[in-house]
Amino acid sequence: MTGAAEHAQQGPAGPNEKGTDNAPVRLPPFKVRIEPADVAEFLRATSGHPKHHRVPITFPVRWLALPEVRGLILRSIGNGFIPVHEGQNFAYERALQIGADYTVDIEAFRTPAPPHLTLRMSVVTEEGEICARLETVMRIVPALKPA
Amino acid sequence: MKTDAEPGMDAPCLPELGHKIPAREFGPFDRRALERYAIASGDDNPLHLDPEVAAALGLPDTPVHGLLMLSCFEPYILEWRPDLFIARLSCKFLNPLFAGEGIRLSGRVVSRKDTPRPELILRLFARGSGDTPVIVAEAAVLWQSTGAES
Repeated sequence: MTGAAEHAQQGPAGPNEKGTDNAPVRLPPFKVRIEPADVAEFLRATSGHPKHHRVPITFPVRWLALPEVRGLILRSIGNGFIPVHEGQNFAYERALQIGADYTVDIEAFRTPAPPHLTLRMSVVTEEGEICARLETVMRIVPALKPA
Repeated sequence: MKTDAEPGMDAPCLPELGHKIPAREFGPFDRRALERYAIASGDDNPLHLDPEVAAALGLPDTPVHGLLMLSCFEPYILEWRPDLFIARLSCKFLNPLFAGEGIRLSGRVVSRKDTPRPELILRLFARGSGDTPVIVAEAAVLWQSTGAES
């Protein structure tokens, strides 16, 4: 996921196989706005029901594709490896609102044996109230070469 | 958790433990569907879009985005019970599904609480062709008033 596979050759290092993984890396928090057109497009692409006029619970995965997040993933995965999406968790304190602004906080950390990359995201209102937490777990596997 | 259901409200008519949610099919997810999801989600990993990239990784075709399939659980649950708020959805991706294939969602109630607020735990499955398990998931859902009860 997150478009990382095509860049897997560009990272500086592969997963640490000695079990001394990196400490969590946290991105500076960034602002997002949930645009109605983006929600409508997401609903059309995911079998959602447009008449519900609600933000789909999986909508925040869009923010994993932002350049700063993608860069973090690519650096964390390393050279010659690709991420395989293994697990996903969404937890909501309150529904996200169309047209609202939020602050997104993301951290990533690796774990060994077998190597995994975990991303944790929190989505907070302008008033500082937590709305959602996401966790994305990716197994890091070697990129096979064409025969 | 902020929902319209607050402690002390009359409990709604929630299904009993073991209740099965009617199965529903989603897809098939053809290449156009994968392209549409790539644009909408930003997940433009060519593994999902380019058969040659998939073949280089030893796959018979491009795999469907896991989160595209996971996204189907929300309409699945809310078409069954529009009065629920999905407070948590977690999953493991078990096997890939490939372009052109669809999934069959099913689920059942594995836990029910009426207090402090009405809540169900749902065990959910997505299966592909040949009944292959693709996703196993669990959702915590809370009853919220739709305003239609009174």
